[in-house]
Amino acid sequence: MSAAPYLHIHQLEKRFGDFVALQNISLQVEEGEFVCFLGPSGCGKTTLLRIIAGLEQVQQGRISQAGKDITRLPPQQRDFGIVFQSYALFPNLTVSENIAYGLVNNKLSRQDRTVRVNDLLEQIDLPGIGDKFPGQLSGGQQQRVALARALAIQPGLLLLDEPLSALDARVRLHLRKEICELQRSLGITTIMVTHDQDEALTMADRIVVMDHGTIAQVGTPEEIYRHPATAFVARFIGSMNLLPGRVLEGHNLLIGDTELALPLMLSQNVEEGLLGFRPEMVRVLQGPEEVKADTLLLQGEVAQVNFMGAFVRLVVTIARNTDIEVDLPVQQYSQRQLKAGDHLQLAIDTESLHFYPQPPVDEPTRVSIRQSDPQPQHVFAEVMDSVMEAQA
Amino acid sequence: MSAIAACRLMPVWNTEAFVQRALLLLGVLFLILGLLAPLSTMLLKSVQDHAGNFIGLANYAEYFTNPALFGSIINSLVIACWTTVIVVTCAFITAYALTRSGMAGKKGFRLISSLPLFAPSLLPALSMIYLFGNQGILKGWLPVDSIYGPVGIVMGLCFWIFPHALMILITAMSNSDARLYEAAKALKTPGWRVFLTITLPGVRYGLVNTIFVCFTLAITDFGVAKVIGGQYNVLATDIYKQVVGQQNFQMGAVVSVILLLPAILSFWIERRVQKRQTAQVSARAVAIQPESQPLQDNLLMLFCGGIAAFLLLVIGMAMYASLISFWPYNLTLSLDNYQFDMMDGGGWDSYFNSLRMAFWVAITGTAVIFLLAYLNEKVKALPLLRKTMQFLAMLPMAVPGMVLGLSYIFFFNSPDNPLNFMYGTLAILVLNTLVHFYTVCHLTASTSLKQIDGEFESVSASLKVPFYTTFRRVTLPLCLPAVLDISVYLFVNAMTTVSAVVFLYSADTTLASVAVINMDEAGDTAPAAAMAVLLMFTALGVKSFHWLISRELLARSQRWRHA
Repeated sequence: MSAAPYLHIHQLEKRFGDFVALQNISLQVEEGEFVCFLGPSGCGKTTLLRIIAGLEQVQQGRISQAGKDITRLPPQQRDFGIVFQSYALFPNLTVSENIAYGLVNNKLSRQDRTVRVNDLLEQIDLPGIGDKFPGQLSGGQQQRVALARALAIQPGLLLLDEPLSALDARVRLHLRKEICELQRSLGITTIMVTHDQDEALTMADRIVVMDHGTIAQVGTPEEIYRHPATAFVARFIGSMNLLPGRVLEGHNLLIGDTELALPLMLSQNVEEGLLGFRPEMVRVLQGPEEVKADTLLLQGEVAQVNFMGAFVRLVVTIARNTDIEVDLPVQQYSQRQLKAGDHLQLAIDTESLHFYPQPPVDEPTRVSIRQSDPQPQHVFAEVMDSVMEAQA
Repeated sequence: MSAIAACRLMPVWNTEAFVQRALLLLGVLFLILGLLAPLSTMLLKSVQDHAGNFIGLANYAEYFTNPALFGSIINSLVIACWTTVIVVTCAFITAYALTRSGMAGKKGFRLISSLPLFAPSLLPALSMIYLFGNQGILKGWLPVDSIYGPVGIVMGLCFWIFPHALMILITAMSNSDARLYEAAKALKTPGWRVFLTITLPGVRYGLVNTIFVCFTLAITDFGVAKVIGGQYNVLATDIYKQVVGQQNFQMGAVVSVILLLPAILSFWIERRVQKRQTAQVSARAVAIQPESQPLQDNLLMLFCGGIAAFLLLVIGMAMYASLISFWPYNLTLSLDNYQFDMMDGGGWDSYFNSLRMAFWVAITGTAVIFLLAYLNEKVKALPLLRKTMQFLAMLPMAVPGMVLGLSYIFFFNSPDNPLNFMYGTLAILVLNTLVHFYTVCHLTASTSLKQIDGEFESVSASLKVPFYTTFRRVTLPLCLPAVLDISVYLFVNAMTTVSAVVFLYSADTTLASVAVINMDEAGDTAPAAAMAVLLMFTALGVKSFHWLISRELLARSQRWRHA
């Protein structure tokens, strides 16, 4: 982390007429890093990529690449290779001609060019297809040729615009791995746009989650998954139970209206917000058992059992009009044989609890259990307490 | 704040962007000089007197108080309405037969029905004279007294406009979804209801489009009315009479403005319809495989046979008449009528002038139109300029040939105009014809450019390849079929057009189509027919030749399509 970042984006703003496509975008990308722009369609991720490429102009802000201000440079004068979702291979040129397209003005001899093209074909694992036309290749092969064409001119920055979304699932998985390996071996700084969270989580060093033209969160895949900064990020990546709640005096958190009071304390003085936890972070207790002091306990009735393959997703009603999702490993499910109508005791570590104040505040809000008495809690007593409180 | 922002928005010097902008600007300038400026001059002339003083709407007042002139509006409308009703009905049934029935001989019918596209509109008129004229072979069949008048005009126009209507309707009917018909069948819907609820709504845009195209072509046509109109005046012939006959340019301008109105109106409606037509048929639509229904097929075949017979009769009559020594007294066959040097109208020179002009229109027109369509489609800069260009490219469709020709006189013949040197040369004829047929070519080019991935330019920019290299290596080869279509369309139309150029030829640049008019006016009907037939065969020959070389060329350059 000694040198300045390879790509530095500062306070970018982009408008299309009255529509603000990007606002207040600041981001730094280190050399050799693989960064994913992740977000739903229309969040501005592709626009941001095109701005980095110089294909769109910004109204405000600065971009510098390798220490050089490139904000106003046309794409021809920037240093990048790009792969589009549509591949944009020239259909009337052969694979070799496509890959060599950018090499023509590199003053390479014809022989060197052929060598380079063959090297690249080797690199993308498709030797010997040089004389074919793009139309004769499968989607995955076309994608790799487009990648080779972009890499042929040895750019300092590789931009990938939803490169895998037009492919079927199996090819996609294979190509994910291949692109990652290629990127690591070349050490090329790479930015990929995607709306697929799995793709971003598995491929990226860092993920930039975007929402409505702003950056919602930047972090490693693990950070983003475990500590989503906003309710939007939480909802967009993985699944998250988000329960609307109000904070009463005495830091009582009410979920729903006055149905369910939880013994939770917030680190900040907020009034309303969403309490979040991931379905797989909810433990189903096997019977009377000791739990740690900083554990939230809930009780509920199974409403639905959905078999999802690797796990079972339970929909549990914890109060009137308040359902949560609980993921249970298949193994545990087959031991218990749960069905709709069963009563369950649930436990969640406070580490896995998130609170998203509304309106949002800058500081993250921490959640902890209000300890009324220092004794270790007993499950049923505590649960009974909370239920009594709820019904009061 | 805004000053700082402006400062920072100053782009870095970029040769490619500069070249693109400059070309775009030149393109718009070209269309302004070739279209907008002449039209404006004409509008101006219509509110001036002979001396060039502004007199407001006095010319219009004079026009509307003169029943001889005013009556032409009614006449033109009557002609256009009748022609539209007849042509659209016939074309609809034929298109239905060709796309939805199990009728035999579809290819042959299609071929025959495209023949009129290659003939000048004068040909059917001349043919009518031989068929139904005072000494016509079928005169007895004619229910009215004389072919010289509305009946002749409508019949001639029907012949000439039919293939235009048929093409649009065939396209509309081919783009239907068989799944809808299967659903209807599964719901046990009776045939007439299927027709009313699926077939008709499916082609309604195409149908509306056809109606307006027919109407516009009929109301603006000059050739047919000129030859066979007799005493029956229509707007297009009025312009000619005012300008060529009476040298009353101001009144010519007034009639032109009036003729421009229905054309612009139908153009406007057509554009609106076109806009709504997008994505009517989804990409997943299943093409209809027509089933044979013997009774219906036979009836349709009878109908198509009748149409084909009429078309062949008209063409055949013109050919036959051109080979007759002296109609109707000496029926021996000879080539006397093809000795054009013995007649008025410029002789064989005019034919070669026509060839030369068509050649130059095809070459320069294809280059200019395709390049401008490319800039319009692929350059992202200067949106306002591109909008202007798009508008100017669509405008020629709404401008009748007579109006454009007269506008050119006003604009280029003015001694103050630095472009005055073009007047009376072949160049002005080329320019005029190019602009006259601009829109269809522009649409063809745009459609094919739109089908090309929009990211090609971005990719080449990222690979540091200049846009003109990508244009040459990728865009142009991909659009080659469209480019070839444009060139032959321009050639054929330049050969056969008469309306715009009738004002612009000089003694050195007489054209074949104008010669037909002049010979006919001088009473040499048979040589006129001979020249019209010659034009048709030249156009057909060029089309066939074009078909052969494009097949060869495409086989070589479009290898990737079939690979």
